Amino acid sequence: MVFHLDKCIGCHTCSVACKNVWTDREGTDYMWWNNVETKPGTGYPTKWEDQDSYKGGWVTDGEDLELRSTSKSKIIPNIFHNPAQPSMDDYYEPWTYKYEDLFNAPEGDDQPTARPVSMVTGEHIDVEAGPNWDDDLSGSEVYAKNDVNMDGLNQEQRAQMMAIERLAFFYLPRICNHCLNPSCVAACPSGALYKRGEDGIVLLNQDRCRAWRSCIPACPYKKTYFNWSTGKSEKCILCFPRLETGQAPACFHSCVGRIRYISNLLYDADKIRELALLPDDQLVEAQREMILDPHDPAVIEAAKKNGVHDGIIRTAQKSPVYKFLKEWKLALPLHVEYRTFPMLFYVPPLLPVMSSTQGDVVRNEVDELFGDIEKARAPIEYLGKMFTGGNLGKLRYALRKQLAVRIWRRFVTVGDISEDKAKAALAEADCTPEAADEIYRLSALATFDDRFVIPPFQREMAIEMLEDPHDHRSITGFGSRMAPKRS
Amino acid sequence: MIGNDLGRRLKKWGGTARRLKWKRTLTVRRYPVRKLHKIIQCSYVLLLTSSVLVAAPQDTVSEETLEFFQGQCASCHTIGGGRLGGPDLKGATDRREADWLARFIRDPQGVIESGDPYALKILSEANGVVMPTLAGIDAKLAEKLVNLIRVESALEKSHFEGMKFDDRALTDADIERGRSLFLGLTSFENGAPACASCHALAGLAGFGGGTLGPDLTSAYGRLEGRKALSAWLTSPPSAVMQPVFKGHSLESEEILGLVAAMKDAAESGIGETESSTLSFILSGIGLAAGLMVLFDGFWRKRFRSVRRTLVENS
Repeated sequence: MVFHLDKCIGCHTCSVACKNVWTDREGTDYMWWNNVETKPGTGYPTKWEDQDSYKGGWVTDGEDLELRSTSKSKIIPNIFHNPAQPSMDDYYEPWTYKYEDLFNAPEGDDQPTARPVSMVTGEHIDVEAGPNWDDDLSGSEVYAKNDVNMDGLNQEQRAQMMAIERLAFFYLPRICNHCLNPSCVAACPSGALYKRGEDGIVLLNQDRCRAWRSCIPACPYKKTYFNWSTGKSEKCILCFPRLETGQAPACFHSCVGRIRYISNLLYDADKIRELALLPDDQLVEAQREMILDPHDPAVIEAAKKNGVHDGIIRTAQKSPVYKFLKEWKLALPLHVEYRTFPMLFYVPPLLPVMSSTQGDVVRNEVDELFGDIEKARAPIEYLGKMFTGGNLGKLRYALRKQLAVRIWRRFVTVGDISEDKAKAALAEADCTPEAADEIYRLSALATFDDRFVIPPFQREMAIEMLEDPHDHRSITGFGSRMAPKRS
Repeated sequence: MIGNDLGRRLKKWGGTARRLKWKRTLTVRRYPVRKLHKIIQCSYVLLLTSSVLVAAPQDTVSEETLEFFQGQCASCHTIGGGRLGGPDLKGATDRREADWLARFIRDPQGVIESGDPYALKILSEANGVVMPTLAGIDAKLAEKLVNLIRVESALEKSHFEGMKFDDRALTDADIERGRSLFLGLTSFENGAPACASCHALAGLAGFGGGTLGPDLTSAYGRLEGRKALSAWLTSPPSAVMQPVFKGHSLESEEILGLVAAMKDAAESGIGETESSTLSFILSGIGLAAGLMVLFDGFWRKRFRSVRRTLVENS
């Protein structure tokens, strides 16, 4: 999966699509399997990136990889309660309005109002928080100021990010990352969470979940949620029923900015442990190394030996994700330092400085049309903390290449930049004119089929990868998932 | 000494009973099985005798009744030995009619509450200590007890003239030993529970003892001294204490120590330790608060509400 952040307009259509399809039931009302955050901001749940509080993800001393939230010794004292869980207040108390009051109110001097009522208790509440409470930097003095990613910035950079007229923000849509090394799966004591063998979707078996809630602190992205009505955890299922019928997940499908790309990748799972032990700033490269080239004959042969179907290899070769991630090295994982190896990659936003006001005068900050990434409004250290585990080189590479593509396209379409200059910019950004055109085409003009290259799921064959259906032929009945019950 | 003495006395009753031609149900058991026919004969005769005797006042007393009196009554009453916790019962059957006595034995509290003047008189003589209702008392047994009082009063020297207690002067060492026993720092020889688990006593360390039973600070005064208190402690007759101390009687040296400690408490001038309840509650609250502070320090890095903290700190 790739989300192209430069294209996100923060319309929350994805969130609403997901909510309507999956989480409009009682107990799931506070869940947003897909949510869109404004950065800088504290997100949803509040300050989810603050792992000192929430204890998500993995930690390593270079030799061992351990969950931050739990261990064999910690599980005994915390057996009935995982302390590092977001409370209802950290998410938000879901509410609706008493709409009938608008119609049933007795006649009076005032307009009737629909007061907010909690969807949990049914009582009147004063709404104090919501899933996008700090949207578009609202309450930035409270929320944006406490963005964990600003920790490494100096006072000047912080002031710059908060300065009136120079405010910079961008949107960060988030869904479950369907990680390669999912800490939620590792933490689950009842084995309810699993990463589906054939496609890597991380799922939560509702029949096996025993409400230990270990997954909730363990997931550093806070993308498993506890359903207070059923007493089971739930999470994004990447709309697998849609994927299995060849459709993109609802949030991908409905994306107005067309920022989302989905396809499959071939990767070497045996390397996960070894690579997860590397220092933070090497993790982006480590994850790229784990993703294999689907055109490499050796990889194809190995995949076939492991029972990967030809159709899956074919879509992997056409994968837009592979191009963004490995060929162009534009896409970066979010918070790779949590060591879960998220499989959702973000193309970082460019946020160039165009102009600023001084008094009544608007003036260009830079001589060049597209400016300089070093002078971008969001300090590069800030983005580095989010996307590259502090490795600014990887981030600069991705930003510079995006900038070069713009310069190149300006030369092609408008022509007010000389060819030499455009080519020099491309060369500096390690990019060829052909690649630049392709980046442009996949970023700006991509059709539905370009963005969503969905492998043939072929469930009947996928099952064969894990177990032999002939073993089950004589022991399964027909029609029902569970043994029939007599009432 | 008291214990051993008591044991000997109880054994002697066998002989006494024979002399008095008492009904001997207990000795029957001593016959070997092969003499079973004799036992049956004997029982038959006895059965006849007793049925004849029911109507007229008996001049024999069964061994059970004697044992019952020794166990339940003798710690407060003597027959011809003077007052202990309760009045000397010698001649009680002459002072009051048998019916009244039986009624009082069965339900002392009830008779007192009915406003019976004689009952009130003996209550005031006993400093307001009400005779406890005896465990296992019924009409038949009460009648037997009245009979026992009558028979024993008629003897020149009753078997219940009172136990012999060491009356040597109480020393500081006795007080110390008594306190230690009271608090349970020293165990009772026969495994009785420490007094402090149910009772409080003025001047003792800590919270002064338990609150389940009455405060014993004034017990020495209420029971009118050493002799009565010693007798009481020999086999505590109250309904609560009797089952607890059954088979765990106190040794005479232990009783001496306890009496010394209780006398000392009574004479110390400290009132009953009513404040101990308050100090107990206050200490409890203090301790709980202290623990909370300790836990708060220990788990100071625990998870707290993130959003609220963030909003409040801004």
